[in-house]
Amino acid sequence: MSDYLYVGKDIPRTIEADKVCGRAIYINDLKRPGMLHGKILYSRYAHARIKRIDTSKAKKLQGVRAVLTGYDLPDVRVGFIKDQTVLKKDVVRQFRDEVAAVAAISLEIAEEALHLIDVDYEELPAVFDPREAMKEGAPLVHEVDARGKPVRSNILPLPWKFQAGDPEKGRRESAYVVKDDVRTTWVNQGCMGTSGCIAEFDMNKNLTLYSQTNVPFLGKQRIQEYLSRLGLGKSNVRVLNPVVGGSFGTKLDTDIYEFIAIQLALQTGKPVKILFTREEEFFALPPRQPALFNIEQGCDREGNLTFREVKAILDNGAYTSWGATTPSVMMMPISSLYRVPNVRFDATCVYTNNIYAQAMRGYGNPQATFAVETSMDRLAEEAGIDPAELRLINCNRPGEETPMRLKITTCPLEACIKTVREKIRWGEKRGKRNGRGVGMASLIHVAGGARVYKSDGHGIIVKVDQNGRVDVLESGTDQGQGSPTVISQMVAEALGFKPDDVSITLGDTSLCLWDAGTHASRHTFMAGNAAIQACRSIKRQILEMAVEFIPQIVTYAIKKKKQKDPNFREPDLDWKLVASPEAMDIKDRYIFPQKAPDHPYFRTEVSEILTRGLHVGTGQSRVVIAEAFYDPPTEMLDREMKGNYSMTYAFGTTAVEVEVDKETGEIKIVQVFAAHDVGRAMNPTLVKGQIYGAAYTGAGYGLTEEIQVRNGRVMNANFRDYKMLTAKDVIPVEPIIIEVPDESGPFGAKGIGEPGLVPTAPAIANAVYDAVGVRISDLPITPEKILSALRKKDVC
Amino acid sequence: MKKVSVCFTLNGDSVTAEVPVTWSLLKTLREYFELTGAKEGCGVGECGCCTVIVDGDAVNSCLYPIPEIEGRSVVTVEGIAGKEGTLHPLQKAFLENNAVQCGFCTSGMIMSAKALLDKNPDPAEEDIRTSLSGNFCRCTGYVQIIEAVRRVAKGNT
Amino acid sequence: MQDFEYLMPTNLDQAIGLLKKYENKAALIAGGTDVMVKIGKTRKAPDVLISLRRLSALRYIKKNGGYHIGALTTHRMLEQSTLVQSELSALHDAASQVGSVQIRNVGTLGGNICNAAPSADTAGPLLVLDATAVLEGPLGRRRVPLKEFFTGTYRTVRKPDEVLVEMEIPEDLGRYGSAYWKHTRRKAMELPLIGIAVALKLSQDNSQILDSRIALTVAAPTPIRAYPAEDFLKGKVIADDVLKEAGRIASSADCCTIRTSLRCEAWYREEIVRVFVPRMAKLAAERVKNR
Repeated sequence: MSDYLYVGKDIPRTIEADKVCGRAIYINDLKRPGMLHGKILYSRYAHARIKRIDTSKAKKLQGVRAVLTGYDLPDVRVGFIKDQTVLKKDVVRQFRDEVAAVAAISLEIAEEALHLIDVDYEELPAVFDPREAMKEGAPLVHEVDARGKPVRSNILPLPWKFQAGDPEKGRRESAYVVKDDVRTTWVNQGCMGTSGCIAEFDMNKNLTLYSQTNVPFLGKQRIQEYLSRLGLGKSNVRVLNPVVGGSFGTKLDTDIYEFIAIQLALQTGKPVKILFTREEEFFALPPRQPALFNIEQGCDREGNLTFREVKAILDNGAYTSWGATTPSVMMMPISSLYRVPNVRFDATCVYTNNIYAQAMRGYGNPQATFAVETSMDRLAEEAGIDPAELRLINCNRPGEETPMRLKITTCPLEACIKTVREKIRWGEKRGKRNGRGVGMASLIHVAGGARVYKSDGHGIIVKVDQNGRVDVLESGTDQGQGSPTVISQMVAEALGFKPDDVSITLGDTSLCLWDAGTHASRHTFMAGNAAIQACRSIKRQILEMAVEFIPQIVTYAIKKKKQKDPNFREPDLDWKLVASPEAMDIKDRYIFPQKAPDHPYFRTEVSEILTRGLHVGTGQSRVVIAEAFYDPPTEMLDREMKGNYSMTYAFGTTAVEVEVDKETGEIKIVQVFAAHDVGRAMNPTLVKGQIYGAAYTGAGYGLTEEIQVRNGRVMNANFRDYKMLTAKDVIPVEPIIIEVPDESGPFGAKGIGEPGLVPTAPAIANAVYDAVGVRISDLPITPEKILSALRKKDVC
Repeated sequence: MKKVSVCFTLNGDSVTAEVPVTWSLLKTLREYFELTGAKEGCGVGECGCCTVIVDGDAVNSCLYPIPEIEGRSVVTVEGIAGKEGTLHPLQKAFLENNAVQCGFCTSGMIMSAKALLDKNPDPAEEDIRTSLSGNFCRCTGYVQIIEAVRRVAKGNT
Repeated sequence: MQDFEYLMPTNLDQAIGLLKKYENKAALIAGGTDVMVKIGKTRKAPDVLISLRRLSALRYIKKNGGYHIGALTTHRMLEQSTLVQSELSALHDAASQVGSVQIRNVGTLGGNICNAAPSADTAGPLLVLDATAVLEGPLGRRRVPLKEFFTGTYRTVRKPDEVLVEMEIPEDLGRYGSAYWKHTRRKAMELPLIGIAVALKLSQDNSQILDSRIALTVAAPTPIRAYPAEDFLKGKVIADDVLKEAGRIASSADCCTIRTSLRCEAWYREEIVRVFVPRMAKLAAERVKNR
């Protein structure tokens, strides 16, 4: 057991009390004086030529302050590979293409104005299936690339090719080989707070963007770059977060609506707010990247994996956002989940006239792990080995380096597998084929940052005032995960203060230092490591003052006692105990000598030192402040797509028991055990919250959720038809926290934001197979798919 | 635009508002009274973020035509803490049990739970789930929310 | 931009008077859970909305010489009524699954029926309970059996100047039991993919089916009765193969015109009818025994 006072404890989220009182200010609630409301007109076709746009009627509507089309803006390209403009002109390539934008004094007027814009289109042939789009002669989504050079194919110039070892040799040495086609689909991140921003310029054309981004600094960089292309290179940009109503990946890219708000604000000289409706949230926001996998893997007679080969086709949609980079994360489970010596992975991103995709909790990991872990079960069956046993045979171990060069530090995967196997009573329940079944799946995920950008650093500034109140200027963001509470615990622990001494400012590029972003489950890990560094310096500063002032305080106290009581005998004090900062420590707001923590004279409350030390009155006043910047010694992926991009990796295993109604194909989740390697839990209740939430979203991914896209159009852009689970469908998850403190983590912590989602869907698929003997490799696993598969099986 | 004048009780106070007749209760609360605790998550009664209590019942304020509020009593999340700032037991339990993550659904979730507990101080778990099933939450998986409500329910008996 | 007048009569005569006065310029609104959504989505509103919410005299569930349910009775009232639960079980099944508690607190039985969606949850149960709609207009009252009430998708026999006053359900449900299955993808916030309501009257020894009524929603442009399946069951001894055959008949083209939509494919809807007619029949029979 640790002797930590605050980390590892279930400190309540009192720091966020405003949220339970309706007082937290989200973008939805935020207003600026003189603010206008922006609305966006989207394309009516999946692929069409714009023949004419007439905005004259809209411009005449009373209350309209600006109407913009692509023809009003300079041709500045934005996005991950700069393949789109902010407002589209000449050609639209998807239904969500932004064709025009309006700013008006009220939302109603802005909406009305959209209806007054006339656009004539000439429909063009479109392509919606990535496999079709790859063929020669398929309609081209883009005729030229970002540099204006003609292109001949819809295949993106993003070659994701990875090889380690010799897959052919591995295949030859296999006793058993399985090969499968696996399909995952679009799912919406489902943030309860819809997307939005307010853009506001001052008279010097400095921009303040109230944005929900969880990458404020990268966002700022993108916007700064955009403004300089508009000729506003001298503008300063400040990006700041209101309270954010969920992200789950949606706030990783700087979205088109943010650039539109900036353009409208520039045009009108007023603050402009754009706030998505729920419908826009479903069709105009990039969802999770879908993928088609062909996976083949084998093992020898003993069950040792011999090779794994995966080909993936990613429907990129019409433009490129972070979805196209998901293979960099898919590669992690494909190369490194279980020990497999020979690996090949080849991913192709293809333009289509569908909506484009981006990040969602787990990035590419849930997609790839669904392929890997359902294939593991197939292989186990082929080899006649219990699926849990096959996983144990190939279990990752501490200290090993994977084919992708990931350096595994701590790794309790074996414990995770064994724990859930026992909890779910695997031996007794498996293999019955009686409508009830069990299944499991594991995961590996980055848990110590993720160097996807040159700087994976994270800055923090800590200040302490004369009353001993602590201000933390934290560069990360909070989209609901509870970072303020956890950071207050870590700062309090590192500083020797109390969590409620700490107040935290997040997500403000003017106040805070660089951070690569609150993604990749990295916030606790990064902020914690930076905080520990900064707090070490703060502690030193306070203890230096203590060396100066404790003797004064104590001498004065003794003098007072003597005056009061002539019989008082002056104690014989060992002044060496407080003679140097190293001799002392701070805990729970008390400064004390390390050798005599309860010393009756030297034990001093911090504010006594701080009030004396900070405001001196002789020109000697000072401030207590420290900044720290933690950039872990990790690597960017090299040309071979290899490199240790995180300081540490998290593992976990989920076991699921299901009941399948053979007449209707309906699945009931009976129980779920989710064992997760968290390093050390900073706040177990909050860690469980991450696991519950992620497992629930993973169950939706497995069973009910799917954005229905027909000929490029999102057909179910509402909560009624997009099937997020309700409180009545609550998934009976028992989170199991496995603690093996990691040396690189703050107080031993690893990241845990995403892992819970990753193995849920494949564990369900494996359990369904165990229950009724049909394997659904196409998410979501709907009753229809099960029933058709059962019928096919009966016919055979 | 036609306007309507309504008198009603809002968080214990008698109030009047003159707003466009087309406005919903939600819009009136947010725009006229600047009570932004109730949120618009969908605007069509499918998410529950706008839940408030009208005459004891949880309702979607986004679908509640403002003229209907005449003479009724409305309680919003802003009106349930004590005047001195003491949190309502549900508010406290939500914080303690990590039933709040991003917090966007929280106002509505708490109001649905309150409407339940006001009528049934010791509900079965199934009643809690039913009462919260009109409030989507993407962060928590509902488990810690249901636990928080159950804690308060037990605390009452 | 949408704009309307919002009128709130406090009694039936006033409401009918207003309907007459504004004729086709007016529309009725009860709980508003359908009307307000429609106005928001289409951005079109009638000139006048006549709200029935203040007609509190029409909120009741009574049993006297039959069951009488006022049109303004909310789904939540039905859900919480022990009378409805024990004697009109299918209606209880349906009412307690409409949308969410928030929707059920304001959404009304009359609204659900008059909106006449093919998926109306309460329509199937009311059809198998042989309900009659009571309408009142300037020319007085008239009674229309519910099976003749729906004329098309979102269309009914109600004239523009009439108000649905109540649903009547005949007495003598002593040997009847009923049940409703709402097939959905999750457990709340749903429209049925398909709805199956069954009412059975059993002999004293619970072995023989004396009378049977089966209704389906989302199986045709309006909620429908599956007469051929009902006829097949009448007089039969209750048994698995008999119920199975009733399910087959109910799911066939003899009874319904099930279609594929984005929400669900036709073959699966048919399958669910086939599976749940027997399951609901068994549940209905179980409920007869338990009364």
